[in-house]
Parts: sequence; C-alpha cells; structure tokens
Amino acid sequence: MPKAVEMRHIRKFFPSSGVLACDDVNLSVEKGEIHAIVGENGAGKTTLMSILYGLVQPDEGQILIDEKPVRISHPNEAIHSGIGMVHQHFKLVPSFTIAENIMLGIEPNKAGFINSTTEAETVRKLADSFGLPINPNARIADISVGMQQRVEILKTLQRNAQILILDEPTAVLTPQEVHELYNVIRKLAQGGRTILLITHKLLEVKDVADRVSVMRRGRLIGTHNVADVSIRDMANMMVGREVILQVEKKPAQPGDIVLKAENLLVAGSGGVPAVFGATLEVRAGEIVGIAGVSGNGQTEFIEAIAGMRPVEGGNISLLGTDITHRKVRDRRNTGMAHIPEDRMTMGLNLLTNLDENVAVTRYQEEPYSKAGFLQFSAIRSFAQKIIKDYQVKSARVGEEIKTLSGGNLQKVVLGRELDGNPKFIIANQPTRGLDVGSIEFVHKTLVEARDKGSAILLVSVELDEILSLSDRIIVMFDGRIMGVLDIKDANEQDIGILMAGGSLEKDHPAQEKA
Amino acid sequence: MIINRLRRLVENITIPVLAVILGLLASVFFVALANADPIQTYRNLFCEGFGPQGCETFSDLVIIRVEQEDGTSQSFFSPFYGENGHSLAIVIERATILILTALSATVAFKAGMFSIGMDGQLVLGALTAVFLGVWLPKQIYALAGVPDADSAPEALRTIMHLIVPLICILAAMTVGAFYSWIAGFLKVKLNVNELISTIILNSIATQVAIWLIAFPLRSPDPNSTPRTDRIDDTAWLIPFNRVLLPDVEWLEGARVGIGIVFALIALVVIGIYLYRTTAGYEQRMTRGSRLFARFGGIPSDRAAIRAMLISGALSGLAGAIQILGVDRRVVGEFASVGYGFDGVLVAILARESIAGILLVACFYAGLQQGATNLQFGNLPRQLGGIIIAFIILFNSMENFFRSNIARLQSRIRPNRGQAAPESASGATS
Repeated sequence: MPKAVEMRHIRKFFPSSGVLACDDVNLSVEKGEIHAIVGENGAGKTTLMSILYGLVQPDEGQILIDEKPVRISHPNEAIHSGIGMVHQHFKLVPSFTIAENIMLGIEPNKAGFINSTTEAETVRKLADSFGLPINPNARIADISVGMQQRVEILKTLQRNAQILILDEPTAVLTPQEVHELYNVIRKLAQGGRTILLITHKLLEVKDVADRVSVMRRGRLIGTHNVADVSIRDMANMMVGREVILQVEKKPAQPGDIVLKAENLLVAGSGGVPAVFGATLEVRAGEIVGIAGVSGNGQTEFIEAIAGMRPVEGGNISLLGTDITHRKVRDRRNTGMAHIPEDRMTMGLNLLTNLDENVAVTRYQEEPYSKAGFLQFSAIRSFAQKIIKDYQVKSARVGEEIKTLSGGNLQKVVLGRELDGNPKFIIANQPTRGLDVGSIEFVHKTLVEARDKGSAILLVSVELDEILSLSDRIIVMFDGRIMGVLDIKDANEQDIGILMAGGSLEKDHPAQEKA
Repeated sequence: MIINRLRRLVENITIPVLAVILGLLASVFFVALANADPIQTYRNLFCEGFGPQGCETFSDLVIIRVEQEDGTSQSFFSPFYGENGHSLAIVIERATILILTALSATVAFKAGMFSIGMDGQLVLGALTAVFLGVWLPKQIYALAGVPDADSAPEALRTIMHLIVPLICILAAMTVGAFYSWIAGFLKVKLNVNELISTIILNSIATQVAIWLIAFPLRSPDPNSTPRTDRIDDTAWLIPFNRVLLPDVEWLEGARVGIGIVFALIALVVIGIYLYRTTAGYEQRMTRGSRLFARFGGIPSDRAAIRAMLISGALSGLAGAIQILGVDRRVVGEFASVGYGFDGVLVAILARESIAGILLVACFYAGLQQGATNLQFGNLPRQLGGIIIAFIILFNSMENFFRSNIARLQSRIRPNRGQAAPESASGATS
C-alpha cells in the first residue's frame, strides 16, 4: 500500500506553557484508509495534526506526503499538498450562503465581479459528485450543525483535498448526524481519499476506522488494525494502565425528597418556550439521569433549576424551601452544587489562578473572608486540599490554570462543587470532552457523593453514561418529559423510542409524576 | 516557579525599555524632518523632563558637575541636586493627575467595563470644585458677617482651609461617580456598550463645560479667553514649597502639594480593594467571565456598578486636585486637554498593574514635560508629541516582543522541555 502521509521524528515543545506536546512521533498513514488518532486530552493529537496542516511548526522532524518530503509552514501549503482540515469549531461565515462559504477565496470571477450563479452551480455539481446533497443558497446561520460540518468537508474537497483531517467531528452531532457522517467518511475513503480522524471516543474508532494510532503524553504508543484491538485494549493504551469501563455501584437507597420541580415552564433563547410543564423529584442518595437528544430542553430545564435562567411558570423547591425565583447564591447556600456543561467559560475563570477559581462559591463565608477581606491562607489550603483529594495533576496553588488539560480542569470544578457534601448536585455533561481516565474518575466521584447521601441530577448526551450512572432515568423530548424509567426496567431500545418522541404502549408516560 | 516569576519580571522591565529605545529610533525621521540633531533633541527631551537645572548631557541625568563660586567644581547625584528647582518635582506635579485617572481607568477595566469616561468625569469634577471653591467661601464670609476675605479673622480662615477643600473634593468625587454611574447603569440595565456611552458622555461633559466657562461661570475680569474666577485662597491646596517645605529648593516652581499624597494613598487603597477584598474579587471575577461570576453566585451587576462608581470618584478627585492644587481656576481649554485619555493610556501601558501605574505615570509626565519644553529650543512642540506616540506604539507591541523573547529563550536552551514531563498533559488537544 502506498503511504499517503508519513511523519518522522516529530518533536514540538511549547516554551510558553512548558509543554512537550510531541516527542519523537512517527506516524504512517496508508492511502485510502480511515486512520483514527486517539489519546487523552492533552496527549498531543491536535498538535500533531496542526503540524501536518501547517498551523504549528515542529521543532524537529520530517513530513512526507505521497512519499515525497514536503515543508509545510502555512495552511496554504498544506492545502496545496492536498491536505484539508475540518476543525472542531467550524470556521464558516454565518451570514454567507453555503456556496459563498465553500468558494470563499476561490470565487469564480470576471474582472473582480463574482458570478453567484456560477458559484452556486459549481457547488451543486461538487456536492452531487460526492453524493452529499446540499442547498447551495441556504445561509449557514439557518442550517443544522451536521449540515455545517458537511459544508466544511465540501470546502476541503473543492480545494481538491486528498487527505482529510477531522478534529473530533462527532462532538457536536446528534446520533443520526453521526451515522450520516460515518457514511460520508466511508464513501470518501472508498473513493481513494485518506481520512485522519482525531477522536477520543473509542466506540467511534471501532465503528468507522481501519487503523488506529494511540497517543499518550506526546508519544505515539502504537498503531494497530482496529479489527485486532478491543475497546478495552485501546483504553488501556491511552491511559497507560488498566481502566474500569463499567461503573461499580450498589443499588441506591433513596431517602427524602431533596429537589422538587413542578410544572416548570422555561423560555429558551429568543423567548420561545423550551420546557413545557416538566415535573420531577430527586431524592437523597439517588442519581436521576435526564436522557435526550441535545436541544430538547434539557439545558434550559437544568439552567432553570440552577438559577441561571428565569422560570416562567411552575415552581422549584430545594429541601422544602421555595427557590423558584431565588438568586444563584441563595440556592447554593440552601445546598445546591452545580457542575456546569461548559467548564471553560461557566465553571472556571481561565484568566486567573487556581485559588481564586476555587474561592468563587465560598469567598463570602468565614474562614475564606473576614469583614470583607479575603483570607488567602484559608483559600490556599482549600485549593491545596482539592489538588490532593481530587488528584489534580500539574496544578499548583497560586498558579494560573489555563495550561491545565480538560480532565484536570474538570477535577478542579468537581473538587470545588463537591467539597462539603452538598445536599443537591447538578451534573450537566460532566464528562463531555474528557478522556477515559478522567471519565472514570468523574463517575467514581459522583457515585461516592450519592452514597454519602447527595441527590444528584445528571444530564448527558451519552446514553451509556446515563445508563451506567443513573438509578432512575427521565427522557426528554421537545421540552416535555416523555417518561420515567427505573434503572432495573430501562433498556436502550425503550429510551431510544422515548428520545425520538414515541411512547411506550403500556401507559401514558408524558406528564407522569417522577 | 521562582525562575518563571523572575523571567516574567525581567520581561516586564525589558519590554518597556526596548519600546522606548525603538520609539526614539523611529522618531529620528521626524526629528531630521524638523532640521534638528536627533542626539541633541533627545538630550534636551530627557534633561528637560527628568534632569536638574543646568542639565546638558545624558550623563548630567545621573551625576552633575557644578562650578562653585570659588572656581572649583563639585559633583552631585543629579536626582538630589535641587538648586533652582528640579524637573522631577514638576514630574510629580504632572504625574498626580495621571496616577488618579489611570487608577480610575484600571478599576473600571478590572470589572470588565471598558470605560474611557475619565475625561468627562474629570471635567465635571473640576467644574464642581471650582464652583464650590469660589462660591462656598463667599457664603461662609457672608454668614460670618465679614465683608471680604482679607478681613476674615485668622481662626475662621484656618478652619476654612481645612474644611473647604475637603468639601470641594468630596463634591467633585460625588459628581464624577454619578457621571460614571450613568454609563454603568446603561450597561447593566439596557446592555448599552460602555465604550460608546462614555465617549458620548465625554462629549456632553466637554460641551457643557465649555458653555459653563464661557457664560455662567465666566470671570468678570477682562480677559480675552474665557475662564472662571480664581478659587478663594481658603479652598487652595497650597503647594509644599509655600507652606510646609519652603526651604526645599528642589521643589521650586513645582505645584506639588497634598495632591500627590492623595494620589499615593489612592494607589494603595485601590490596590488593597482590588486584590484583598471580596468586593474587588467580585469585580475581577466578573471581568474574567461574566458567566462564571453568575454561576458562582457573584452579584456581577452590582460589582460592575460599584466599579464604575469608584472609577468616577477617582476621576472627579483628579479634576478637583488639578484645580484646587495646580490651576486654581478652569480655563476654556481645560475641557479639551485630554487628561483622562492620558490616564487611559497610562493604565494600558502599565498593564493595569498598580506599581506599574506609578512608574508609567512618572515616565509619561516626564516625557510630556520634556516635550513641552522642546519648543524653547526652537523645535516644533509637536515633535514631542510624535516621540511620545511612537514610544506608546512600540509599548503596545507587547505580544510581539514577548513571543520573540520566548523564541529566543527556546533557541538558547532548547532542552528545557525535558524538565517538564509532568506538565506535558496541558494545553494541547
């Protein structure tokens, strides 16, 4: 098999953060294969691909494309060598049409005037030739995320990319969109194109890739045929030790009702109702999971309970106190903790140091402040305690946290929120974007909190996570609660039906008391 | 960790020094355009800005030789050589207002409010101070039944000397704070961009000030340019060289008074407020991420408004001190000098550091002082402005310098990476 890409002895050190992102990496990718690159957060996968795409310059090493040595010092040179990259966060102009985005910078023109009819026609032909139907005249702002990704892929194909780099392509997609994407990837590979897939979802690797390269701490641990390795093998290689994929937990022993939401009515962005009369109860010592395809009101529902979004109707009570219209601080004082969906902007302040990040929920109480003055020694020892108890690697008291990896950042959030055994914990996508090792840690921590008597409300788009952690499962669809299942009776099929808006025949699940 | 901190410190000193040198080099073109000798021009710039009387060469800035009456000569350490006054005294006079306006900008910035309303707040503060400084003593004399200031009993004047400036200052701070609050309120309640609203508020304040000075508050004395009455002597913050330190020659010709003490106290108080109090913490977290602050239960709207109030009060204080301590009246041009904007520049150049503000304000004041005096050497006054602008421009290229310094370091010691395997899990994917 001819080699499409060879990277030899690649080394990259970031002096500003002191991170050795790539350490003598040797990668070899065959033409026409789907090659997955997996690794924990911060293992160096994205850096390696950024080097291939010319976004980052390696300190040492050589790159060969189609077995010829090349120098790629800019994305333009990468594009010229037939490399295309679809970033995790799309780089599209929302107010432009699909055709305008695809042809951006290479517009067919006459004396500087763009002919938009030809533009649209070119794009339509391109899309048809790859069997990826789109409407060239639709605006990016109006189309779904999956469609936007398709536009990004077409953009690289229009520039004649033979090697496609996809950075965590499924992170933002619904299950159906993921399936479509797999089909597209397979079709492109069959047509002779080479696909490089950066991911840390091992199931995905099993589903779609031919070969897989595992990275750990800047090193490439090995390249294997996907057929020859199990998910467990890959996980162990990524983490460097035995990983327990199954969450071990005893049956729940639910106590008193901690949180009660009744007939909650919540508006989404733009004032359109997002939650229609949802009712639920969470008891002490149990984990209630909310399942659903993202965008069906879970976020709004959770944010309303957390106090981040106003409630239009209904009421919420926490430990018997009505908190429907109370401020976040009052809710936290009543006993709420919140692990937010977006740890980068909501859970943490990346501009400041660890101490000030862990102080945010406590700075008003003694001993962390006295008479309006912060008490740094108390805050510091609290930070120290979190580093120790939650095994936050490479973090130091008083140091900035922006260089920490995603998993370690999440541990900081967990430590701050779970310290002191809160009565009620909201965990919104607690493992999104995390690597295997960190996911294991988060799951273990949440189960421990449950066993200590916390009531936990869990939201996740990963059905596996919901099934393995929850004691009861609530399924949301289109802003409504479609059903409540005990974990003993829950199976993927039933949940799938409810998630798609169907009902289980035996009863009328909608509006059932949780 | 200590090495990192040390490295950062060296960087923080190297970059401004480099910027000054590059700024001077870049200005050579314009100096030549004005038919001047660059070396001589820069010598004059620094001697007038930072040197003692009689400073003629760069070395005079450090050691100055002075001919004695008996024909011998003696060397002095220049900053302490105060015969006939010293430029550094004037630097202090000029730096006072810069420190206060830069603090004003910093407090706002550190709440995530990019307010540049210092000019408007300062002008209104100055007008408040001048109005009260003229009007209040008159009322007191009338109440006490004294026909004019000169015939007032000494005891009354002593008490007034203590109380009147204080009232003027507090009133000016209140007015400044209120004017700044408008922008904060608009931002928090109606999401009006504070940059735009403060620009507009500045413009309104300036126009109102010009009108007030030209008509209602215009002094009846015959003078071609509009200006207000001079404040009563009892409202005056008397410079040190008139009262407390009349024999210190170093201070001669400089209107350095209690104002610089206020400015230094403000530096310390704001430093403590921002970094040691829960209120300061609240506003700094709000700046880092509004969402984070809300999530953690921080009342960020209140923190933003509080920052705007403090910011406005500091600008009002700056205006009051400039009037009560230095100008003693408001002249027509005062509204358009742009003290507030200079303060914003100082704050940005100091990277919003409290100690940095003190250093940068003094340096900026010295450059201004030297630039103004360039015209006495038959050079265009504008040349000074150009040089200052270049220095600021190069200073703002911080990131460019920083990345180059980092690249240089990694080239010198490329194997540093091996020392940090533990942190290899950061900041990539």
